[in-house]
Amino acid sequence: MKFTTDDKAMDMMTLQSIQEEFGDRATVSPMERELYSRDLGPVPALMVDPLFQTMADLIVRPQTTSEVAMLVRRCAAEGIPITPRAGASTVFFNAVPVRGGVVMDLNSLSGVIALDDTARTVTVRTATVWSDLEAYLNDRGLACKSMPSSAPVATVGGWLCMMGYGIGSLKYGSLIFQVRSMEVVLPDGRVQRLSHTSDPSLDWFAASEGTLGIVTEVELEIRTLTQMKHFLLHIPDNLMAERIISRLLGEKIMPYNMHFSDQYFVRALKDLGLSHASIDAGGLLIVDYEGPAEELSCAGKIIQRLLKEHPSVALMPESLAETEWEERYKSIRIKRGGPAVLGGEMWLPVASLPAYLDDIRKMSKTYGVNLMSYGHIVSPDRATVMTLFFADETQTLRYIINLSLVKKIQDTGYRHGGRPYGVGLWNTPYLGRIYTPRQLKDLRARKRRLDPEDIMNPGKVYGAPFMLNPINFSVGMEAFALVRRVFGKRW
Amino acid sequence: MTVQNKIYSSLAKETQICARCGYCRSVCPVYRSVGWESASPRGKLSLARQIFALKDQEKMSDEYVHRVSQCTLCGACAQACSTDIDLRRMYLDLRERIAKTGRAPKGYSTLGANLKQHKNITTFDNKERLDWAENADDPERLQPRAGADVCYFVGCVSSFFPQAQENALSVAEIFNAADVDYTSLGGEEWCCGFPFLGSGLVDDANGFMKHNVERIKAMKIHTLVASCPSCRHVWLHDYAPFLEDYQLAIYHTTEYFARLIQEGKLKLAEMEAKIAYHDPCDLGRNGGIFDVPRNIIAAIPGVQLVELEHNRMQALCCGGGGNLQSVDAKLAGDIAAMRVEEIKKTGAEIVVSACQQCEQMLSAAVRKAGLKVRVLDISQLILEALG
Repeated sequence: MKFTTDDKAMDMMTLQSIQEEFGDRATVSPMERELYSRDLGPVPALMVDPLFQTMADLIVRPQTTSEVAMLVRRCAAEGIPITPRAGASTVFFNAVPVRGGVVMDLNSLSGVIALDDTARTVTVRTATVWSDLEAYLNDRGLACKSMPSSAPVATVGGWLCMMGYGIGSLKYGSLIFQVRSMEVVLPDGRVQRLSHTSDPSLDWFAASEGTLGIVTEVELEIRTLTQMKHFLLHIPDNLMAERIISRLLGEKIMPYNMHFSDQYFVRALKDLGLSHASIDAGGLLIVDYEGPAEELSCAGKIIQRLLKEHPSVALMPESLAETEWEERYKSIRIKRGGPAVLGGEMWLPVASLPAYLDDIRKMSKTYGVNLMSYGHIVSPDRATVMTLFFADETQTLRYIINLSLVKKIQDTGYRHGGRPYGVGLWNTPYLGRIYTPRQLKDLRARKRRLDPEDIMNPGKVYGAPFMLNPINFSVGMEAFALVRRVFGKRW
Repeated sequence: MTVQNKIYSSLAKETQICARCGYCRSVCPVYRSVGWESASPRGKLSLARQIFALKDQEKMSDEYVHRVSQCTLCGACAQACSTDIDLRRMYLDLRERIAKTGRAPKGYSTLGANLKQHKNITTFDNKERLDWAENADDPERLQPRAGADVCYFVGCVSSFFPQAQENALSVAEIFNAADVDYTSLGGEEWCCGFPFLGSGLVDDANGFMKHNVERIKAMKIHTLVASCPSCRHVWLHDYAPFLEDYQLAIYHTTEYFARLIQEGKLKLAEMEAKIAYHDPCDLGRNGGIFDVPRNIIAAIPGVQLVELEHNRMQALCCGGGGNLQSVDAKLAGDIAAMRVEEIKKTGAEIVVSACQQCEQMLSAAVRKAGLKVRVLDISQLILEALG
């Protein structure tokens, strides 16, 4: 977007008047704006600053839907970009501006609005943190159906606008299927209540990453809080792991959650003193069940039968299984071995897991890098798999060259039917892998319809900027990968 | 992993290890109250990396210095940290580094000057430390005496602040009731050093610690009981280099009282009351003592013990820690007000803490909220239960 001098002056006037209106809930402080110009993604400033305007011009903290709507109307009138942000716990700059403008910090819009015990639904404000909601529900004998693996910071609205797969999705499906209705501020400032049958449908907002509007309230289905049972299995090889997973997925009792870690991930945790599990080969599979007592009893029998049929699979102590469950939100603790980690998260067919992990091992050898993988089985046929390796951000050149291995991980996943999980900015080079041409056409049509001026979280999801277009990106990354292969084996 | 087991290797390394996940954010009472990312632990850490690890001193604005001082050292962030960083220690390190640049907040300078001049956090002469004891049944027992079984380390707040002096009196009366052979350091008790540490003035803290240890050694004291959780915390963790091989058992009053109850030296009479217990951060999350005070309260016949919404490891801070009051009293009060909302929800008639600072903060916040709840230190509750 190019501004004329008049445009800029008008923008500045608008921003100034917004700032005055919001008082101490708006800021232009350079320190604050810098903190809002990043997420978890460890991308060096060298690669960001010349290409994108990640510093917002103004940060505002609205407290109500009407304030959000007013802000959107004001920005829309002047074509000022808006980047909605809450937990900012993603890594692809999903909630980081790339064209300046206004960052809307939605964290003040949190808390439970209504609980309908009979209908088993809860209505929450958008920035309600998942673990807070779970604690609220648990106190009342209820629970969320599913939770993101970053529940202590991720918000309901934020996860909804991502793909919404995580812990519990295996049994209850993606978050979007649990949402009954939601309130959204559209890019023209209209406030609309959406359902699965409304126009637009609330389904449009799943994985939209804040590009179609700002979700302000969500009504979602909940469940009765039940007992759980956790089983930790040591499986000797990847092929067997896939067989065991598929077998468990075919049983009449569906696990609530299944999480696996390969031996390299487990060993790294063990070396850091962060895991009591010790394995020499294969991987660990944690299988969590929730439900009434009879269901849990049945689950226990399923596992016992499975162990009988597969004598090479070992059941680890119950205490370890419980620890794994308690630490389900802390996979990132592996970073202590870094100090940085780089990696790629994949949306992968479960059937491809063994072949993917075998190829990842080959890649490890080719580049002399210890690749570690873990993931969740999030649907009867799909897993989200994170493959990562240690890096050091203070070694800037090596670090940038190491980024090429992230693409190599993505390429490995792609060869096995996988695609990146989430788009944001940094995965735009992979748009052609993430969506079919038809899907992309439909998504762009939705964007054009709802946000013709492209003010809502621009620069994300629908297309790659020049430097990230697939050809430029591939050429650059392949060159780095070659350097990494030749010179980087002892890094 | 508890806060005590969290890791702090160096500022440079830990700031790189931080995943910026933000788990620290939603549990931070300062962030919850202020609302800006710069008030969150991950925000402060992120800037610390640039300023101190990457040596970009220009980023050390007055705004940043103020943010670093806006922390109660409650340890909730460290507990929540996904990469196990001991953020509490990081804050102390940051404050020490800032102090060395001469840019520490004015509130710290005032506090530091008082401490240096008076050896306590007030403007009172330290010789008046035992003035409160004049109201005790047997004031003489508190006069410094070598070889006593127990030395009661009173702490600055309980020595000089009228409301908190009630706690000190209660402790003395409980010791009397159980016939404990106890004494105090009297006017030779200097501040434990924690306010210095919280201001980044480590050398000054060390001087005070050295003095207190010398007095303890000179009086041949081998058991020290503190009613202030922060005093206990510092004695346990920061005094070790000065104590060297000297054998000194260090207890919080709750630990010592629990033993007296168990030994039958204190008999608790019936009391009909619904009581909520507020965990002081330095006793609970940072000190690992959760059950002891609860067991004491529950041991009083007729008492109904209720939990606050956030309790034990997840307990909310009262706002009174980390020298916050000396730099931002309003914020400290706002944090206390959040805790009072939770007290209100329990319907308790009495809220009990085991820290004179929590008691002061919560009392003020309860008054401000117009809530009809009594705020008591656990020593006061025990004394009432003794009849």
